[in-house]
Amino acid sequence: MSRYLIRRLLHSALTLVGVSILVFVILRVVPGNPARMLLPEGAPQSAVDELDRQLGLRKPLLEQYVIFLRSVSRGDFGQSFQYRAPAATVVWERIPATLDLTTAAILLIVWVGVPIGILAAVRRRTVFDYAGMTFAVLGQSLPNFWLGIMLILLFGVTIRWLPTSGFEGWRYLILPSVTLAAYPTAFVARLTRSGMLEVLNQDFVRTARSKGLAGATVVFRHALKNAIIPVLTIIGLQIGVLLSGAVITESVFAWPGIGKLIVDAIFFRDFPVVQTVLILSAATFVLVNFVVDLLYAVLDPRIRFG
Amino acid sequence: MSEKKPKRPRLSRRQFLTKSALLATALGLPPLVKSGAPGAAAAMVAAGATTRNGQIVAAVSERALTLDPGDHYSISATSVLRHVFDPLIDVTNNSKFVPALAESWEAVTPTSWRFTLRRGVTFHDGSPFNSDSVVYTLARVRDNTKLIKSFVYQDLGAIEKDGPFAVTVATKHPFGALPSHLTMLGMLPPGAAGREDSFFQHPIGTGPFKFVGWTRGERVDLSANPNYWKTGVPKVEKVIFRFVPELSTRAAGLRAGEFHVIDRLPPDMVQTLRGSPGVKAVSVLGIEVQQWLFQMAKDPDKNALLRKAISLGIDRNTIVKEFMLGFARAAVCPVPPGLVGYVDLGVKPYDPDRAKVLLKQAGYNGEPLDFVLMKDLYPKQLEIAQAVQSMLTGIGVKVSIKNIEIATAREMRAAGNYDMFYSGWAHLPHDPDWYFGQWFTQAGAAKLSRYNNPKVEQLVVDARSPDPKIRQQRYEDLERILWTEEEPTIWPFYSRAIYGVRDTLRNYEARGDYYVLLSEVSVS
Repeated sequence: MSRYLIRRLLHSALTLVGVSILVFVILRVVPGNPARMLLPEGAPQSAVDELDRQLGLRKPLLEQYVIFLRSVSRGDFGQSFQYRAPAATVVWERIPATLDLTTAAILLIVWVGVPIGILAAVRRRTVFDYAGMTFAVLGQSLPNFWLGIMLILLFGVTIRWLPTSGFEGWRYLILPSVTLAAYPTAFVARLTRSGMLEVLNQDFVRTARSKGLAGATVVFRHALKNAIIPVLTIIGLQIGVLLSGAVITESVFAWPGIGKLIVDAIFFRDFPVVQTVLILSAATFVLVNFVVDLLYAVLDPRIRFG
Repeated sequence: MSEKKPKRPRLSRRQFLTKSALLATALGLPPLVKSGAPGAAAAMVAAGATTRNGQIVAAVSERALTLDPGDHYSISATSVLRHVFDPLIDVTNNSKFVPALAESWEAVTPTSWRFTLRRGVTFHDGSPFNSDSVVYTLARVRDNTKLIKSFVYQDLGAIEKDGPFAVTVATKHPFGALPSHLTMLGMLPPGAAGREDSFFQHPIGTGPFKFVGWTRGERVDLSANPNYWKTGVPKVEKVIFRFVPELSTRAAGLRAGEFHVIDRLPPDMVQTLRGSPGVKAVSVLGIEVQQWLFQMAKDPDKNALLRKAISLGIDRNTIVKEFMLGFARAAVCPVPPGLVGYVDLGVKPYDPDRAKVLLKQAGYNGEPLDFVLMKDLYPKQLEIAQAVQSMLTGIGVKVSIKNIEIATAREMRAAGNYDMFYSGWAHLPHDPDWYFGQWFTQAGAAKLSRYNNPKVEQLVVDARSPDPKIRQQRYEDLERILWTEEEPTIWPFYSRAIYGVRDTLRNYEARGDYYVLLSEVSVS
């Protein structure tokens, strides 16, 4: 186990270095000059050149990368071009809103998606199944921005139960998290249903039933435990995806999360912010995948690492 | 109705709201009445505020990312910071320059200015405003070339105190546009020197509002400065700026009553808002002109006859009517009305027959022209470009539209990879010097349109005189060359600036420069 852990940690570190090189090079290769984006249109070329120099973009690529690595090792991700403040601070300020939205969405995915899937499988071809799957199809097919705007118009503008945008308390969280969770919840519901259906037909479930176990025990202790592994993988991936930001939901609800930050940063060629966010999200992905892999062993005794 | 009610301790709605708000604060609960709702104003009055009451929430499209007046050219940051800082000179909606922290100013010689400062003004921390503040602010923006605004102030020479309430500023060349640039530069307390980083996290100015706090790039909270030098201002206790780039979200917030004012409405949104109760759209002719550049160093575009043919093939009035829905005016010169240099040279005619004749004379060989757009930057730009494409097909010119992400499009422009480039120019700071100086001089245009005409360049230099009469004359001369003789650019129309406003706002003025200014606005 410990050898496995060490190997995985080394892989993770390598992945992160690879990501940092890739991000660094791609940003500097694509067309678009940060200084020209920062200055007003029609600013003289001398001003563009001076700002370019001030931003350190005149140095050779390798030198820029070495400077970057050296500062990152000190915890300094550079100065955001656009925000005129440390990139790490700019990104850090977006973390609480991102975490809130991710947590709320994951809760919805787990506590709405999984139960719907179980119910649809156990009560197959009943009204529960049809209702659950109708919900799932809708959730997967309604475009995110449309759903968001419709929810705002209904709950914010027409009946005025909830605020239309912003980040000031739990009431502000409801519409964005529902919008964000709609697709993955539907996906998880369908995945749970199909996994459960497969397992419910197997011999060990029949054995469990025939030895007189209660229905709930069969479903939750025996069937679900075997059906949940792929669902867990998807939820794990979703955590990674959600933590790296939800661009559309954040735009529609003016939610101060990571997603909109990075898209704006890419448009404005704010290299330090893009680098910080991407390295951070890569680290999150690596970590979450790692934890999910470990969880498999906890949930399924057949899986052992070594 | 004279029915007697049983006696009990009475609690008015106001008292109830105040007490519940206090209790809620103590318990850390969200308030019963959402701030911004009509009840909040009442609660504030009950809590003991004076004549000033209520709060205004403005949602603007562009994010203000910095609180340093010297370090941005953002219109929304200018709006926000105008509430915290006062500039030396203010500019009215009809582009007149009026005193703010400078009571008067004059050009003593063509290269030196004298500013007489307002007395009795204090910063939010109680320290006095005087010439030290002006010297520090101007020297800082000139010397610290890291600041975004620094390049504009490179022409400043010696900046000297002339007593506690007067400052003289020498310039390396005549700088007639200096007063207009100063309208965008808030005056800083000299105490900020050496600790700018922390100062701009919690800035202190002399403005009508004090800075309370901000979520970077999301919102800024301001509260009234009770000691503001202008009596009767501000009219409300609090102002909140929210930065909401998504148009539908801004509009929804306005309709839901969460926002009192939103900016940058496209023309077709006006109709939608008209159907909403409690909301209205207000607009004013903006100081922005659309401009479609020709790449003057490129073969087909060098051809003056071809440019004139293209110009004659475009029906500006149809574009204004059908695409801008009347929220624009066909341009009559490159400078919008109200600014120095504005002159009515007449709307460019639409004459497809004459265009075809000129096209023949020009020897155009049917080579398609690339019309580059900066994706989603201007309202209706793609539809308008498509209309232009179809109009020009009508006279026999092939146009290929390239709708490209902003930074890449700008890079293409810098590299000269375009035939026509869709752009716009807001004539900030209410003066055309910057525009002509950058777009129609060889140094400036090298990475833009490649325009080069020494005669025009000389007129640009001459127009930097501090004398408004000379400036007007020189600009008229150079605009005649651009508008009538050369047509290096097509200036199709001036756009209107459109805002959505709750009808509870009083005295809100739709600004042509897109600033959202709230110190004279009250809320009922």
